[in-house]
Amino acid sequence: MKLKIVFILLACIGTSAVNATKINVVTTTADLKSITELIGSDKVDVSSIATGYQNPHFVDPKPSYIIKLSRADMFVTVGLDLETGWSPQLLSSSRNPKIQKGSNGYVDTSVGVTLLQVPSSINRGEGDIHIYGNPHYWLDPVNGKQIAKNICDGLEKISPENKAFFEANLKAFNTKIDLKLKEWTIKMSPYKGVKIIAYHNEWCYFEQRFGIIIVDFMEPKPGIPPTPSQLVKIISEVKSNAIKVIISSPYFTTSSSDVVSKQTGAKTIILGTSVGAFDSIKDYFDLFDYNIDKLIQGLN
Amino acid sequence: MYYFIQAAFITVFFSSIPANLFSQIDSIAKPDSVLLKQIEQQIKSSEPPLPPAQVRTAPSTLPDISVIGDFQASYKNNVKRNFNAGINEAELSLQSVVDPYARADFFFTVGKDPATGKFSEDLEEGYLTTLSLPAHLQLKVGKFKSAMGRINPVHSHALPFISLPNAYENYFGEGINDEGISLSWLVPNSLFYQELVVQLTDGPIDNPSFSRSVGNTYLELAHLKNFFDLSSNATLELGFSGITGANFFDLRTNIAAMDITYKWKPVQFNTYQSFTWQSEAYFSNANISKDKVVNSFGMYSFINFQFSKRLFFTGMYSYSNKPYSASTVENSYSTTIGWYATEFQKLEIEGKTTSSNVEKEQNQILLRWIFVIGTHGAHQY
Repeated sequence: MKLKIVFILLACIGTSAVNATKINVVTTTADLKSITELIGSDKVDVSSIATGYQNPHFVDPKPSYIIKLSRADMFVTVGLDLETGWSPQLLSSSRNPKIQKGSNGYVDTSVGVTLLQVPSSINRGEGDIHIYGNPHYWLDPVNGKQIAKNICDGLEKISPENKAFFEANLKAFNTKIDLKLKEWTIKMSPYKGVKIIAYHNEWCYFEQRFGIIIVDFMEPKPGIPPTPSQLVKIISEVKSNAIKVIISSPYFTTSSSDVVSKQTGAKTIILGTSVGAFDSIKDYFDLFDYNIDKLIQGLN
Repeated sequence: MYYFIQAAFITVFFSSIPANLFSQIDSIAKPDSVLLKQIEQQIKSSEPPLPPAQVRTAPSTLPDISVIGDFQASYKNNVKRNFNAGINEAELSLQSVVDPYARADFFFTVGKDPATGKFSEDLEEGYLTTLSLPAHLQLKVGKFKSAMGRINPVHSHALPFISLPNAYENYFGEGINDEGISLSWLVPNSLFYQELVVQLTDGPIDNPSFSRSVGNTYLELAHLKNFFDLSSNATLELGFSGITGANFFDLRTNIAAMDITYKWKPVQFNTYQSFTWQSEAYFSNANISKDKVVNSFGMYSFINFQFSKRLFFTGMYSYSNKPYSASTVENSYSTTIGWYATEFQKLEIEGKTTSSNVEKEQNQILLRWIFVIGTHGAHQY
């Protein structure tokens, strides 16, 4: 029994010693966690604040996240103002100077990404408009390369001795994206120009990459729940454009799209907006595999 | 149809090319060969056009600025003027990081005096918070809401009810926001979140339990916050506070307080459903003369249900003595229905009844409309 306890204690010490050498990374979303793991491999220990099936705009800033952030070497954020309602408060409460904005451990993955829907003026009368542009840029796999580069740059700042290792992983990631992109593009090519309806305005990068056309949104304005008049408008658009599919996300209820489905026969499909949205989406590549297969299935 | 044919052609074309053909072309053809240009052209035409390079919103060193309006209307019985309506308070907030070492938060209010109807401005809070102290410490200096319990640190517009619980109001009035220094320590506990806050402030000027002493008696406060993740959807918070300071009689009042909060919020549908149960209890020990001590008690408990994205219901009960009168007993019940149009606007209606063994029963109906313009920082969980 005594030997057993000693063994367990030694195992604990051994585990903590191994963890101590790893770079402790906290990401805001599960997609960033997945890409950080692919670049950092066994040199990083990554946790995500938001889960894959959670609305990244509305994460509750639980104090337990502060513990994670207080010990982090690196903080990876989607940036723009996606997490504005919760991450600034968590960061300032973390008392961790290593991950504050401007520090080496603060990585904004939007840097260098070509943004869509950048407003020229802001008026909240238009709903939840993002002042820097649409922040759902990770839903274009090509932007995944820029995200990975930003993460790689961040890891190199913290652990310059592993620069070659991270860059080799980045290269492998980019190669896989190129290969998979070819596969995804071929799969989606018959559906170029196909019109669909989306619940929330979060698919513009996916739309641009794969050539589908989002005709309208269930939300009359971003963040505003569907109204009866909007549903009437959507039903008419679905009928006049022979739209087969309404895409939504795991964190929105389907009650309003079900109404449209009943009236028109269009299917409501829940796509994954992040890694972990569904059990089969285990990494960033699975996210597109799942969404493309699911969308094609719906369109057929 | 044209695009479909084009895409199909490209698909067939590429799938029929041996994997090493490009390297063969590179090795045998000149870079500007017509064939290579044609292939590049076809690849380009199969990709969506990229938008032109863009300039992001110009960076600014201006702080986050917001104005919150708080319109209220009320009906109360057993008072001379039964109906009242108007802007209860307007709050201007300026919040920003100062430099890599600190951030600053200022909240100015213009509030209406219910007795005179006149507006007067006040610095509700104005403080500097460090961001980079070692050992998980955080220092706050300035005027701030004391870290006692769950209600006191929160601005009234963020509470899910309009009228403050009687117990809280009887012991702390509109709350303790005082000038001084606050040191918070994130306890290195890997099992659950634990934060210890100690504060030393001048003492509030106008408060039922405490007064600003003319001598060297300051308001001393300690608060231990314990936060547990029961599951991904449920959390429990237990807090213990101790406050001691000068009272109206220039003697000492000591208050021990505890709070408990259970929250259930499904992670996946957290914008549609939630449930909160929150309670606080205050044990007061007030020295009112050299040989007389008043020990009194107050507590409140409320539940808050979110039925849908926009609809909330709060039911509250409060029992309370008064700081200098343990024989006074007040019981109050209230229900509040809140309709949250967006994160920037909410409308609430509340009914409340208070019975007391020293005053007539009081009934009131309150309406509150909160709206915010600009960028307002998130509130604590």
